Amino acid sequence: MKDAVRKLSDEYGFKLTDKEIAIVARQAEEAALLFRPLFEVDLAGITPLAKVDKKIVKMAPAKKR
Amino acid sequence: MKTFDIEGLTISTIAPLIKKKQVSPLDLTKLHLARIKKLNPTLNAYLAMAEEEALAAAKKAEREIRQGKYRGPLHGIPFSIKDNIATKGVTTTAGSKILADWVPDHDATVVERLRSAGAIILGKTNMHEWAKGSNSINPFYGTPLNPWDTTRIPGGSSSGSAVAVAASLCMGSIGTDSAGSVRNPASLCGTVGLKPTFGRISSFGGVAGTGGYTVNHFGILTRSVRDCALVLNQTAGYDPKDPLSSDVPVSNYTKTLGAAVKGMKIGIVKGYFDQCIVSEVRYAFDEALKTLIALGMKTQEIAIPHIDLIPAAQAASTRPEANSDHDYYLRTRPRDYSPGLLYNLIAGLLTPAPVYVTAQRVRRLICQEFDEAFKSVQVILAPTLFSSAPTIDDCNRGYVEADGKKINLTDRAGNFLTRYTIPFNVTGLPDMSVCCGFSSSGLPIGMQVVAPPFREDVVFQVATAYESSTEWHKRNPPCSDHA
Repeated sequence: MKDAVRKLSDEYGFKLTDKEIAIVARQAEEAALLFRPLFEVDLAGITPLAKVDKKIVKMAPAKKR
Repeated sequence: MKTFDIEGLTISTIAPLIKKKQVSPLDLTKLHLARIKKLNPTLNAYLAMAEEEALAAAKKAEREIRQGKYRGPLHGIPFSIKDNIATKGVTTTAGSKILADWVPDHDATVVERLRSAGAIILGKTNMHEWAKGSNSINPFYGTPLNPWDTTRIPGGSSSGSAVAVAASLCMGSIGTDSAGSVRNPASLCGTVGLKPTFGRISSFGGVAGTGGYTVNHFGILTRSVRDCALVLNQTAGYDPKDPLSSDVPVSNYTKTLGAAVKGMKIGIVKGYFDQCIVSEVRYAFDEALKTLIALGMKTQEIAIPHIDLIPAAQAASTRPEANSDHDYYLRTRPRDYSPGLLYNLIAGLLTPAPVYVTAQRVRRLICQEFDEAFKSVQVILAPTLFSSAPTIDDCNRGYVEADGKKINLTDRAGNFLTRYTIPFNVTGLPDMSVCCGFSSSGLPIGMQVVAPPFREDVVFQVATAYESSTEWHKRNPPCSDHA
């Protein structure tokens, strides 16, 4: 991951120090571990969420006090 | 004209008096401006004032009302606006160094709607840098302080808005919420904070890069549930300038205030909202449930099978979405971000595209699970945060101590201060935080009331039933100590 951060630092011109590269790399590694379970879910037939569905859930009308 | 003290004053109390010409909008505005001058040097709630514009708008409101042209319950009411929402002619920094001098040439739609209702915009409120955090420790503009205890954070990122509402430095405020940024500070400062359904309030005029596109919401902070309904009435609705805004018809949200809740079912999600919960928060939440049960509501345990994936889905959504807006400044002014945010944004650049798309699929799955749960309950209740407000020192060292335990404020899954609020950003469900008690050290504790999409009316119904049965919202922070 450190190499990937170093490459970004060069591309964007961040001029990150070695200490900073280590901090960012650790964050990216932790994020990768966090994201891994997303791929363990059975998502067959599930499309990406693009916008909250426009539906109104019907419920019994409330009574006035 | 009546004389009055503005501390703890609500919109719904003062609006009828303005309408009857018993209270002058100009006097009300001047009282707020004077209170801001007195308290803001300590609380740091406002970053920029629009004093001249506010006084001119107040004079105009007074003239119109005198001429019988009363516009409605927000006419002459002083508001503040979070500093990542565009206000024409007033600096809008987003709490960042990069936008320190940006003066928008337009108003956000929500600001435009408030102005057209006759509201008075007093100024812009402090916030976490680029809204990317919830402790609001801001290296560029200073940290806003919690009015209940100034050694503590007010939450965030809409921190200044919550402080201003709680300390009576305005009567309502507009914030933004992509992980809890309205509800979190509302909870920690003891105000009402509403994050409506995704798309219910237009996001046009929000500063790009201050919240992911699919999780960000504009929201409302007020001192009462009724006030919040009045503000949503004015600000909700489709906006052609915001393609993500919804055209679902807008209700009159004051209509369900006072409606009975007897027989309605409360869904309780076990597990997720119990993570590291502090005993005082647990007690306050359980007591709130008892209050609602006494009103005739019933509770039912519900299951959201993939709820534990929410922190991953949230992070996988916000990071790439925010990064797409920060790319230019990352290339041109990287060292004008605080170091912590810079590292976070760079790490975000390493999120693979399949992670983003998979997260959106998981989000749909989780939305379906909430839809299923709402077939058997009308609302879901949960604590807003696991604890009351941490101290600034707690945040700097990264943990709080409670119940004899050390609780880290961040973990691999991200920020623990927003752990309980992000489920409703990932799903876009309407969610309000209301005060449900106080800790032994006198700090407010919040509870979330969540309803199905576009059923803000149900949120208001339950929240107002709770508020009417309790006195928590009537407490005011000890502001005279901060002068």
